Amino acid sequence: MNFSVFVLYGMGIALGVFALSRGDGSFQRGLVRAVEHFGKLVPRMLCALVAAGFVAKLIPTEFISRFLGADVGLAGILIGTLAGLIVPSGPVVAFSVGAAFASAGASVPALVSFITAWSLFAVHRIFIFEIPLLGFSFLRVRLLSVLILPPLAGGLALAATRAMSMVGM
Amino acid sequence: MSPGETATIHPRTGGRDWWISVLGESFGLSFWLFAAFALLAAVISYVILGPESFDDAVSENLAQLGFMLPRVAVAQVVAGFVWVLMPHDRVSQLVGPDGGRRGLVIATMAGIITPGGPASAFSLLVLIGSVGGDRGILVAYISSWAMLGLQRILVWDLPLMGVEFSVIRFLVCLPLPILAGLIARRLPLRLRLVEHPEQQDGRRS
Repeated sequence: MNFSVFVLYGMGIALGVFALSRGDGSFQRGLVRAVEHFGKLVPRMLCALVAAGFVAKLIPTEFISRFLGADVGLAGILIGTLAGLIVPSGPVVAFSVGAAFASAGASVPALVSFITAWSLFAVHRIFIFEIPLLGFSFLRVRLLSVLILPPLAGGLALAATRAMSMVGM
Repeated sequence: MSPGETATIHPRTGGRDWWISVLGESFGLSFWLFAAFALLAAVISYVILGPESFDDAVSENLAQLGFMLPRVAVAQVVAGFVWVLMPHDRVSQLVGPDGGRRGLVIATMAGIITPGGPASAFSLLVLIGSVGGDRGILVAYISSWAMLGLQRILVWDLPLMGVEFSVIRFLVCLPLPILAGLIARRLPLRLRLVEHPEQQDGRRS
């Protein structure tokens, strides 16, 4: 249990009390909506988390980190992006893979594109939340809109690190 | 069951029909596809990684489920109450589909400070869509939360990847949600949200 969970529980209780105090059925309608969404999300979430956990174990971290070194520049950015796309799991896995890449000598731009790609495309999130709550139509619009962001972020990071090394930082 | 009953689209909430419709949606076709995929992943990792790694993965999976379930539950309760209590027409005016850049900047800032994990962020995304936020605002908000969410940066980026990496990544990603929102507004695709399929979104053609 961390701070943000306490905040969420506090909000839930405060809003529930307020809804009850209005005495116009808000409380019941709010709970009905919560149960409907909960029912939509949780069974899929159980399956997706289990699948993601297994797939995460199968990612060949050592093999990929060979292609992310400081001397590979743009290629590192593209491979970092692709690696970010295949991490189907939460921050625990993504950041431990990222840390493994870093200790194997991956460059900052490659890591930036890796973390950015994972954060935008995390497959488990798409299956657990995005498709049930918003639908395929939204998924399609969103994916096409963010497609260029990970390599762009990596490219900007490359420019930033070059500029920093030129001024001797 | 009479024909009149089967034609009911919204069964009385809390009644038996309502529970049946909720369960029907929860365990529909896509659930079984998910279940099949999970099973396949389990079999593949058992074959490739062997029983020991398999047991590791199982216990990690259980820990992850225990972590997520209470969060998702309470996030849905909060979202349900917010949905009911929010003055929809007044909020609509705030995020209305005016197609302005200001909306994208506000959506980006909201994504940065949204606390909690995907359960809260996606619930908020549904709310923004339901009060008429256009596709640019929706895409900018969820991209910003994903790339720039402060909570994740503080908990994960900083301790695991270091200060230099975190600062560079935050700064280079800062303008990107706005760019994604602008691209979304120009995509020649129809957008139909699950909860408001009838709503026309504010794409400028």
